[in-house]
Amino acid sequence: MSVIAIVALMVIVMLAGGFYVGRARAIGAVNGNTVRLHSLPNYHGYYVAIWTGLPAFLLLAAYGIFGGQAVERLTFSELQREASALNARLEERLLSDAEYEEFRGAALQLRERVNAIGDDMQRLRSARGEERDPARLEQLQQEQREALNSATAAEEAAIGRRAELVAAVGSEAEAAGASMRQLAGFELVQAPREQRQLFLSDAMQIANGALSSRESAELNAAARIVARYQDRIRYFVAVLALVFAAGGLLRTRSQVIPDFRARNHVERLITGLLLLSSVLAILTTVGIVFSLLFESIRFFSTVPVSEFLFGLQWSPQIALRADQVGQSGAFGAVPLFAGTALITLIAMAVAVPIGLLSAIYLSEYAGPRFRATAKPVLEILAGIPTVVYGFFALLTVGPAIRGLFTWLGFDDVVTQSALSAGLVMGVMIIPFISSLSDDVINSVPQTLRDGSYAMGATRSETITRVVMPAALPGIVGAILLAVSRAVGETMIVVMAAGQGANLTANPLESVTTITVQIVMLLTGDQEFDSPKTLSAFALGLVLFVITLIMNVIALRVVQRYREKYD
Amino acid sequence: MPDNQSHILDQNAGFGETEPPIKVAARDVCVAYDGKQALNHVSIDIPDRSVTAFIGPSGCGKSTFLRCLNRMNDTIEGARVTGSLKIDGAEVNDKSIDPVVLRASVGMVFQKPNPFPKSIYDNVAYGPRIHGLALSRNDLDGIVESSLKKAGLWEEVADRLNDPGTSLSGGQQQRLVIARAIAINPEVILMDEPCSALDPIATAKIEELIDELRENYCIIIVTHSMQQAARVSQRTAFFHMGTLVEFGRTEDIFTNPRDPRTQDYITGRFG
Ligand SMILES: Nc1ncnc2c1ncn2[C@@H]1O[C@H](COP(=O)(O)OP(=O)(O)O)[C@@H](O)[C@H]1O
Ligand SMILES: [Mg+2]
Repeated sequence: MSVIAIVALMVIVMLAGGFYVGRARAIGAVNGNTVRLHSLPNYHGYYVAIWTGLPAFLLLAAYGIFGGQAVERLTFSELQREASALNARLEERLLSDAEYEEFRGAALQLRERVNAIGDDMQRLRSARGEERDPARLEQLQQEQREALNSATAAEEAAIGRRAELVAAVGSEAEAAGASMRQLAGFELVQAPREQRQLFLSDAMQIANGALSSRESAELNAAARIVARYQDRIRYFVAVLALVFAAGGLLRTRSQVIPDFRARNHVERLITGLLLLSSVLAILTTVGIVFSLLFESIRFFSTVPVSEFLFGLQWSPQIALRADQVGQSGAFGAVPLFAGTALITLIAMAVAVPIGLLSAIYLSEYAGPRFRATAKPVLEILAGIPTVVYGFFALLTVGPAIRGLFTWLGFDDVVTQSALSAGLVMGVMIIPFISSLSDDVINSVPQTLRDGSYAMGATRSETITRVVMPAALPGIVGAILLAVSRAVGETMIVVMAAGQGANLTANPLESVTTITVQIVMLLTGDQEFDSPKTLSAFALGLVLFVITLIMNVIALRVVQRYREKYD
Repeated sequence: MPDNQSHILDQNAGFGETEPPIKVAARDVCVAYDGKQALNHVSIDIPDRSVTAFIGPSGCGKSTFLRCLNRMNDTIEGARVTGSLKIDGAEVNDKSIDPVVLRASVGMVFQKPNPFPKSIYDNVAYGPRIHGLALSRNDLDGIVESSLKKAGLWEEVADRLNDPGTSLSGGQQQRLVIARAIAINPEVILMDEPCSALDPIATAKIEELIDELRENYCIIIVTHSMQQAARVSQRTAFFHMGTLVEFGRTEDIFTNPRDPRTQDYITGRFG
């Protein structure tokens, strides 16, 4: 068992002990006459227990969250220090290396030239009248492209030369008997940034006894440093946690006197704890939204917002030319919006009438015994995993629809169609609507029904003219919530609607939705900054905005309704 | 059986020649909810064109008896009504009587104002519409206006007939509900504690209204306020534990009750 786990157990034991100590001391302070205490003895116990456990556990939690990072930082800076001698030697060599200096100088000059040409072009573009010379502009463009290519080549040559020198310095140092730690530091510091991270995480893995992707003497040296820091931090945290716990126990124990307002303190601590939890939940949501937002902004820097929102062509897969950033396919999301709308519409056309009518039957007509069985059964429908609905749609409903429409004389009907996905999604949403509407209808006050019956209205008149209008806002709310579920539903559509991004209103064709495309874009091997991958975030943002608007409206509507009949 | 025959009106001598005709005649009406007896052998004769007050402690069966009169007990599961109950000589509990038709002639006002989630106009037009009483929009406008006038609400709402009924104050809502009830020309109006949710000023208005309506309707009102019963009613019936204890002219009941239980109740010794 690790030290930390042992310490956590000890803190728990101290916490329980603290409770009894606080309690016993409170009772003892008044010789058992607990009426004289300001707070019940248990509150004194809780107070001591909380101050024994809370700081220690917060410390342990902080260790859990930030411990790894701290070890990494410390290891890195130590290795950096180790590498300083070799770094200095490398700098010397670079300065005296004619080849490297030449490449670097050339690269700098070429870059300057590229910029200068760029300025010229800018001047030419903003010029008017005779000054405007398209031929000249084209020529400049050509020149700039050539300069850019040469600059890149020079930079690459410089980098290559530098790598050679790094290798040379490294092997010389090794031959001269430099320590493994020095070499490890040198390798780490001279590596490109993304490889540094890899080096460190490999070292951490080795230190923790896990398998790492590669192994070398340098890595092992780094791993030993990692292990040393890990141990140090671990023991430091363990001791500190015990000190916190013991200190808290001793300090609060002495506070227990009859007049001590333990109840108020405990209440305040509990309030704080609850506040912390809700703040955490909110912060998480905000964090997710912001990450969506930032990635979307990155995406929109390559694909304009207007093209994304209004473009009619969606084909993110086709990369026209590998080296052209932002040109890999078309990112017009309208077909996805249309597909989402079509499937949602079909699903609602199924779910709203059936769900509503069954809710009316359940709440107004069904006897208590039927209601008691039917309602749970309907709610079980809501508990079926959507993937089950998905293969029901794919294997049963899809072929049935194709069979039916082929028989009716349509040709080329596909199995994966908007219709089959929409129908099955509608079935999935029925219990959602019926259950919510049933609650809403039930909460229409009985006095309204009585009033209507007493006017000589029949049951159906009462339902259509009084109960439904009274329940309408709540039902609208239920439907809007159902719509936002339908918009966000993924599994059924992935399986049953096909993947063709067709812009069509024909429910027999296959369509694709926002959610399906997000799945497609992010599954499989992806580079994480290609516009193709980033477009998933933009789609996610759109989805978030749609469902947010829908939920806000739904909540508003429901709230208005609540105000009226409480 | 206790002397339930004594509650029949013709035994209350001394009303003189202004005696209005009997509107509602109940004989041995019993009601049980799920087998639990709530009303025991109630016999009573209620005259037309006057206000009859039902008083008695909570749970003694006043509302239950009111619900017999428009067969609202039909809507309660497990309620069983026996005995004879005649309105204008026609048996209410008869199988051939359609409760929908019956309720068109027996209006009801509830304890808590319950305007429908509709406009003021549509609330009043509700009954005429479902019973097909208005032949044209003009007819309907006329019915709505005259009902609101009879309920003493016209002045206050004439310029906002399209506002929701729930936007009115509690007292206005209760008068709206009364207008809704009289829009279908009932003969009997049942009021179950119509003022218990209202402030004294709104209550005074409703009482005034009841006094006016008395000229054209047979009104039965349940109330917990002795003063109210004394102010608005001509006759008072005292119920206790599911039985009708005493029934007679209001001033007799309040000044000279015959039963000690009535005496205790009106002097506030229990209830
Ligand atoms: N819907 C019902 N179901 C079952 N019991 C009821 C119902 N309504 C009234 N009761 C019972 O019948 C009795 C009389 O009730 P009620 O007529 O409402 O009294 P009151 O109106 O005089 O206060 C009470 O004991 C009450 O519990
Ligand atoms: Mg009652």
